[in-house]
Amino acid sequence: MGIERVESSDAELVRRVRAGDIGAYGALVSRYRDRLGRYAVHMIGDHEDAEEALQDSFVRAYRSLARCYDPARFGAWLYGILVNRCRTTGARAARRHRMFVRDADALNGAAHGDQADRVEWTDAIERALARLAPEYREAFLLKHVEDLEYEAIAELTGAGVSALKMRVKRAREQLQLYLREAEHV
Amino acid sequence: MILAALLMVVQVAAQDPRLERLDPGTRSAVSAVVDSARGDGLPVEPLIQRALEGATKGAPGARIVAAVRRLTVDLGAARLALGTNASAAELEAGVAALRAGATPEILAHLRDLRRPPLTMALSVLADLVASGVPADSAAAAVLALAPHARDADLVEFRRAVERDIALGAPPGAATSIRVNAGAENVFSGTGTNPGTVPRPRRP
Amino acid sequence: MFERADDVVERVIQHLRRPVAIDPGLDARVLREIAQAPPTNRRGWPLWSALAAAAVLGAILIARPWSRDETNRSDLLQFVFVAPQAASVSLVGDFNDWDPARSPMQTAQGVWATAVRLAPGRYRYAFLVNGVDWRADPGAPTARDDEFGTASSVVTVGGRGS
Repeated sequence: MGIERVESSDAELVRRVRAGDIGAYGALVSRYRDRLGRYAVHMIGDHEDAEEALQDSFVRAYRSLARCYDPARFGAWLYGILVNRCRTTGARAARRHRMFVRDADALNGAAHGDQADRVEWTDAIERALARLAPEYREAFLLKHVEDLEYEAIAELTGAGVSALKMRVKRAREQLQLYLREAEHV
Repeated sequence: MILAALLMVVQVAAQDPRLERLDPGTRSAVSAVVDSARGDGLPVEPLIQRALEGATKGAPGARIVAAVRRLTVDLGAARLALGTNASAAELEAGVAALRAGATPEILAHLRDLRRPPLTMALSVLADLVASGVPADSAAAAVLALAPHARDADLVEFRRAVERDIALGAPPGAATSIRVNAGAENVFSGTGTNPGTVPRPRRP
Repeated sequence: MFERADDVVERVIQHLRRPVAIDPGLDARVLREIAQAPPTNRRGWPLWSALAAAAVLGAILIARPWSRDETNRSDLLQFVFVAPQAASVSLVGDFNDWDPARSPMQTAQGVWATAVRLAPGRYRYAFLVNGVDWRADPGAPTARDDEFGTASSVVTVGGRGS
């Protein structure tokens, strides 16, 4: 799959934005927010920081739209801005949301059954992801969650395809290890 | 007789032309309520807007008049709680807070805790209740944050609670945890140290 | 129970692929921010496009503050509503006398937007779709007192540090 050369309307929308139609940019934001938002949340770990990074990326993209030389591939270009923005956010921020989920459960009385399993599984995945080196996490998410081709990831991250394959392989091994550890705690 | 006719003319002349969208009977009743409110020193623009909302939404005249009367009473209650210096915007936000379940005592307490304008604090209180937060929890949260939080902080607090609720948190718990987090990390009162001020969310 | 390593990773992937809830107000915040600061005229961005952006916004501004007693500052707010099938959408509320003709929204691919300058205050508003269908703003707090039987939303413009 990969970042598709989406329908010509991306190019058309970019053209309209360049002509001053801010509403057209709203359409682009609406089109990409959920997918990019998912990447930012998983990459950064903290929901609020992720939304801030996402918002910032959309604004940066708008302000530098003149440098989007292939408007039909606006999505891929925007992805690149977000990937960079997530990198600068640095280490995963304090996990306010995850702490909150635990506290809420505590206040509610202990969660039980399927819900408890789900919360535990979500928590374990978050912890495992957080333990990955950022470049491993980035490559893993872009390859397996965002379903991009290695060539597209190379374009976004500036890393070579073979290095990316190695990062994804290491990420898979480490995730498996961390989750096995979690099962035995 | 002549005096009565003259008064009627004056009253008609004083009517807000925007109310012409109402049918004559409703217009007359609404104008009477508006005039009375004006005489009491209450802001009348919210009353006119409520009547226009009813007209645009095609509500029956009786319902429009009842809504405007109710708003007049509530604006009076808000002024009683917030004081005669309260602005029109504060009074209208005060009405929203009262209708959400805040007591007049809570409004008065807020007035004592926070430098005006109180519009945002009152509004956030009302909006939290609309999101499902129990009124007493919402009031306690806003009162806890009121002394030091900026308006932008209060908006960010409300957004954070709403987001937690959307992600499945119980509203009361979401509110209290956010307040505690705020007390420890965010609203520490200095408002100037970048280390303690919440990162401003984009407007 | 034994689970193959690849199965564990596959479960992680499936879990991570689920949609993530993003604040629905994000779109409006982005548009509001860019409306306040048009792009710079660099690398071929024509100056006239920035001027056109200002003209489009200027044409749909409504400045009729009624809370003059608080402060004179006002905020330019961008209202956004997604309705791909709609033929027309109007923004109506306490700031435009609930008059659908005052704030018709502009569309791009079903995303309807308009900007309104508001003085500090609490405002009720709603979207009127195709002239008949009342919709509240899914990205804003709901007004509790819907005395006329249709939902409305609330926006508050603060006067201090907002």
